[in-house]
Formats: sequence, structure tokens, C-alpha cells
Amino acid sequence: MTHQHNKAVFDRRQILRGAAILGAGAAAAACAGPGTVRGGSRGPASQASAPAPIGTAKVSGDLSFAHWRAEDKAVFDKIIGDFAKANPGATVRQDISPSNDYQSTALQKIKGGAIGDAFTAFRGAQFVDMAKAGLFLDLSAQTFADSYLPKMARGGKDVNGRQLGLPYQLVFNMPIFNVDLFEKAGVSETPRDWDGFLDLCERLKGRGVVPLAWPGGEPANAGQLFNSMVMNNQPSDTSCADIESGKANVTDDWFLATLRQYAQLRPYVEPNATGTASEPLQQMFATGKAAMLATGSFHMSPIRKLGAKFPIDLIAPITVAADNAKYVGIHNATFILGVNAASKKQEAALRFLDFLSTPEVASVYANGTGQHLTLTGVEYTNRDLKATEPWLTKNTLLAPRFQFNDLDLRAAVENACTEVLGGKEPEQAAEAAQRIVAQRRRS
Amino acid sequence: MTLTPQATQTRPDEVDQTGRAPRARAGLGRRRPSRINRPHPALFLFPLPALALYIVFFAMPTFEAVRYAITDWDGFSPDYNNVGLSNFTTIATADNLFRNALFNNIKFMLVVVVFQTLLSLVLAVFLVKNTRSSVFLRSVYFFPTILSSVSVAFIWKFVYDPNYGLANTVLGAVGLDGLQSAFLGDDSKAIYFVAATQVWFHVGQMMVIYVAGLQQIPAELYESAEVDGATRWQLFRHVTWPMVAPATAIVIAYTTVQSFKAFDLILGLGGNPPKPSLDILSTRIYAGFANSEFGYAAAESIVFMFVIALVTWLQRRAVRVSQGSA
Repeated sequence: MTHQHNKAVFDRRQILRGAAILGAGAAAAACAGPGTVRGGSRGPASQASAPAPIGTAKVSGDLSFAHWRAEDKAVFDKIIGDFAKANPGATVRQDISPSNDYQSTALQKIKGGAIGDAFTAFRGAQFVDMAKAGLFLDLSAQTFADSYLPKMARGGKDVNGRQLGLPYQLVFNMPIFNVDLFEKAGVSETPRDWDGFLDLCERLKGRGVVPLAWPGGEPANAGQLFNSMVMNNQPSDTSCADIESGKANVTDDWFLATLRQYAQLRPYVEPNATGTASEPLQQMFATGKAAMLATGSFHMSPIRKLGAKFPIDLIAPITVAADNAKYVGIHNATFILGVNAASKKQEAALRFLDFLSTPEVASVYANGTGQHLTLTGVEYTNRDLKATEPWLTKNTLLAPRFQFNDLDLRAAVENACTEVLGGKEPEQAAEAAQRIVAQRRRS
Repeated sequence: MTLTPQATQTRPDEVDQTGRAPRARAGLGRRRPSRINRPHPALFLFPLPALALYIVFFAMPTFEAVRYAITDWDGFSPDYNNVGLSNFTTIATADNLFRNALFNNIKFMLVVVVFQTLLSLVLAVFLVKNTRSSVFLRSVYFFPTILSSVSVAFIWKFVYDPNYGLANTVLGAVGLDGLQSAFLGDDSKAIYFVAATQVWFHVGQMMVIYVAGLQQIPAELYESAEVDGATRWQLFRHVTWPMVAPATAIVIAYTTVQSFKAFDLILGLGGNPPKPSLDILSTRIYAGFANSEFGYAAAESIVFMFVIALVTWLQRRAVRVSQGSA
């Protein structure tokens, strides 16, 4: 008996021939010419004219609302229920993707029109890319856009001044602090200069608490402190954009001065801070073991859920002399609402945005999620939102870290600050970051 | 439908006295098989489902990656430019982030391959017998494998947390405060701590492969070696090690590929994006996609594939050489 039948079907030559055909196919595919259109068929040029203001007629149909905030789902469900009551026959489905996947996966679907008749975008690189890809319907003519604070709505405009999106949430990306611990340390007023801030840290440390809980092990949140540290040090409000464009460098004096100030904070952050994530620090802050948490107002709600009872307020380190301080804090207007230019239900989507923009609905969202909003007329009943409401009118700077459109470049600059707080010399950290910055500028 | 397996066999009358079929003897291997030797056409249908899956989920994405790799497509815009080999040139000459990720990945891979292979082999040698305690311990060591990477990352994030974490707490409790560390925040050692997590995660899986390999070794080989006066080390060196070569080849190849694709574990432990000290090739490629550089990230993916292929080939050669000389 033989086993010849096992080897008679494909011989070596046939296999090689098959491989050659596959290789030729790959080569041919690689030679495909440029200019292929993929995904949605609308380009930026197709947004030349802004649709007329939406009327008051009721709308119907099934809408998709794409966003990344799973934690807001219940509040949105309630709002959507009210929208459906006001517009019989209309339904809104929430298509939620985790924020990490939102850029890579969900946006492709939005672009193709599969989801996201109404959708959201992060401020910064994502909004810029989406605007460039022509995903947004021009909202310039919509009257509901007038409900937004002009200063905040600016973040939803493109370079031509068209109102493509409406930033909905307003967060303060600056440290929050335990008012009780400050009072126990004999501090009734937040410091107005750098020496005052260091003195505050020293007093808090003397009382046995961690002055500044900083999540150095979590780059996304470690970078929030960067906003406050550069806000008054930078020579212009566009310095971060200037670093990206090549007009400024990480090795410039003002940035080196900022890094040296980071080095001065080393004794005042928790031990081994470069390895600490934000969750344990929230616990540390909620239990009164840390006086400041260097993240932002978005952590006030989670802190309350951990059982914190003490009053919370916002504080930004003023890195210059009091007379030279241009800003007292940082804000960011994000969760940019938009209508999909590829959607066939634009009228209903516009009506949904109109609905979200009414003060009553916005108040439900704000108090339900613990977020300030960029709209006028919102009534804050949440304890922390009410306490920090005065910050809405203070002179705060739009978070400079989001001026970086290149995420690798931003990471390099912020990582220099992290490394300095971890012990590296400011000059060395700046030079290492500058090398990456120079490479990224070329890309 | 009858598929008649004998139809593909050589008939006795086709075999000459040398035992070879006439066509082989005459050097006519390319001649079309006679009708009776030809496989039934229906047999070609059987691989179709697997082939379709392979084409859709592997071949086509690979071809697409090759297409994107020579463009500057950002992932959004309707148009893109053909940039030739410029993406590959940049990767090779002017991308410190990619180079850093490559070195991190190689360090990670070396630690994981060496320690995971050795530890799994040691565990398998001690637990090869099918006693009740061995089976129980095998289950215990295998348990982490069934967890998801995200769960493992959460567990070890707790272990490595410098302030509330298990590792520093235990070190402090036994008076080894000097060994307390920032762990993942220590740039020079962070990647090794992630490697330790990876070994913990997968060592049980590799142990099972080794146990299967060890149980295939005939007992007579050990008996005859013992009769010749071999020591325990000599038994391992000259019997066990060469006889588990196939298992070792599988373990090393699999561990290598795992090391290059430890994406979810890194993101779970180091956040997204991870710090440069934790960046490996897969997370770097993902950062490229997230940074709207689809063309460039596709080029990085192609390089990534070749790096894995090269490292796996080198390792297989090394294992063959080491076990051939045993």
C-alpha cells in the first residue's frame, strides 16, 4: 500500500506558482494610484453653504447619536425620552464607543454615515481632522448656536470662521482642592504667585498631607498640570501651537523656566509619583490624605462617589509674580456637538441639537453628569457645580495642551515635564523632547 | 456522492520492482494524473470556507496595508498622495519613537521568551506526572491564562501602585523599604515589570504544552540512560531537552509572537497612550492610527510583520542548533 495520494494534489512548482501570483497581486495592489475616494463622498468643499435655520416643525425618524461618554448614557436616555415626547415618531439611538476607539473606529463609521446623524468630537486634533474630512454640517446659520457663550463656541469653528460644531461641556483642567485642609493649614485665600504656591505646599506638607496628588503614571491626566504651569509662563497664547509649527522650541527659555518650576514641585507630590495612576489618587484625595488633586473639575463627581464630604474648589498654580499673571485658571470646551454632513436625517439631527441647547435640557444634563456647560441660562443645582460656578466668568485660558494637533508631539512635550518631576534635569529633558518635536514637525 | 479514496492511490500494476511508480521513474512528475488518480472535484470545495476567511481577514487587510503604506492617507480625507518608500525611509532613519518602541519590544521579548520558556519547562518537569496534586497545581498555574488581558492589567496595576499597591506594601511590611519602587513609573525598569506580568499571565499555558511534550518521551530512554549511569542533569540534558524540541519550538514561536502583540496588556497597565518607557511596536502603530497617520502606521505594520518573521526564524534556527548539539 502506498501513500502517494497525499502528495499528488499540489507539487512544489504549483505552490511556487501560486505564491508568485499572490505576490504579483500584492505588487499590483501596492501600485494603486492616488486619489481614491473612500468613505463618505462629501469633501470640505461641499460644505460651502450653511443650511438655513431649522424651523419649529416637529421631526420624526430614527436618529443615531454617536459619542464616547458611556457614563452619561442614563442622563441622555432621559433627555432622549423627553425629545421623543416632544417629537412623536422620533427616536434617538446612542452609539457609544470608548474614547480610545472613537478616533480609530467610530469615526470611520460616522464618515460613512453608518452611525452618527448627530455626533461629538474632542477639541483639538480630532476636531481639526474631522473638519478637514468634511464631516460637519455648517451650523453658522442656526439660531440655537446663539445660546452658547461666544468665548466657548469659538472652539467649534474652523479656520474660515464657520461654526461647524458646538462645544457642549465646559471643564476646568486645573487642580481641585480640599477647602477644609487649606483652612487647617491657615490658608484662607489661594496664592497669587509662585512663591505663595510653594509656601502653601510647604504648609500642607507640614500638616502631614500630600500637598499635590499628581498622576504621573497616567500620561493623559499627568498632562493636565501642564496647562496651569504654562498658562502664564508662555510668551503668547499660541505658544504650544508655535512649538508644533516650529516658531518656538521646547528648549526656549520660557519652557526651561517652566521645567525648573516642575522640578521645585518634586518634594510636594506623593512618593513615586511617576508610577501613580489617577484612581488611587482620587481615593487619596477623597480620604483627606492629599490636599490638591492635579487633574480637573471632571474628577469632582467621582470624588463625591467615593464619599468625600468636604467642600471642593479649584486652584491653578500661578507660576509668575502676581502682577504678571494674565490668567487665573484653565478651561476647556469640548464634547463638540455636530451634525453629520453625510446624514440623510439632517433636519432631525439639527432639531436634536436644538433640543440639547435649550437651558432646561442643558440643566438636566449638567446636574445629572456633574459638568458645567457652555450654554447660557443653565441652572446649576449640583453642590460642586454651584460652588465652582464663579469660575465661569473668571479669566481662564483655553487649555493650551490641546493646541497640539500632533499627539506624539504633545506626548513628547508633556513627557519632558513628567521626567523632570521624576528627577531628570530640565535641560536634558528639554533636549530629548526637542529631538522628537523636530522629527514630528517633518512628518 | 462517493469520493473513493482508493481513486487517489497508485494501483499495484503501476509499481515496478524498484517500488516506484512508472511516471516517477521516467521523470515525468509534471504529467497530468490519469482520471482515476485525479481527486474528485468536490474535494476542492472543502477548503473554501477556511480560504474565504483567510482571504477576507488576512490576505485582503495585508494587501490594503501594503497599499496604505506607500501613501500619506490620514484616515479621513477623501484623497491621499502616493509617497513611495518615504514612510519606510522615515521609519528607518528619522523616527526615534519607533526605534524606542522597537528596543523596548526586543527587551520585553527577550525577558519574556527566556523566563517564560524556562519557567514553564521547570514547572512541566516537576508536574509531568498525572498525580492528583500535580493536576491540581497545573490548574492553578494555568488559571491566569483564562483571564482577559484587561483583567490581568487591573490586577497588576493594583500590585504595582506605588502608594496603595501590594508589592510596596509587602516590601514595607518585611522591612525591605529600600526595594520599594515606582515600578511602572521607573523608566529604566518599567518594561521589565510588564514583562514579569506577561510571564505570570502565560506561563501556565506554555507549561501545558511542555507537559504534553514530556509525556510523549518513551520511558525506555530514561531507563537505558540510567543503566548507563547518567545523572539527573545528564538525563535532562541528553534525553529531555532534545526530545522536547518540537514543544520548545512551539513555545518559543508562540511566546515571541505574544511578546510583540502584548498590546492590550500595555495599554491596560500604562494607559493610552503609554509613556515612552512602555511603548512597544503594537502600541506605537496604534498611536499612529490615533494620530491620523494611517499611511505611516500601515508602513510601521509592514515593518512589524517582518520583524516578527525575522525574530521567529532566528529563534527557530537557534533552537535547532542548540538541540541538535544536545
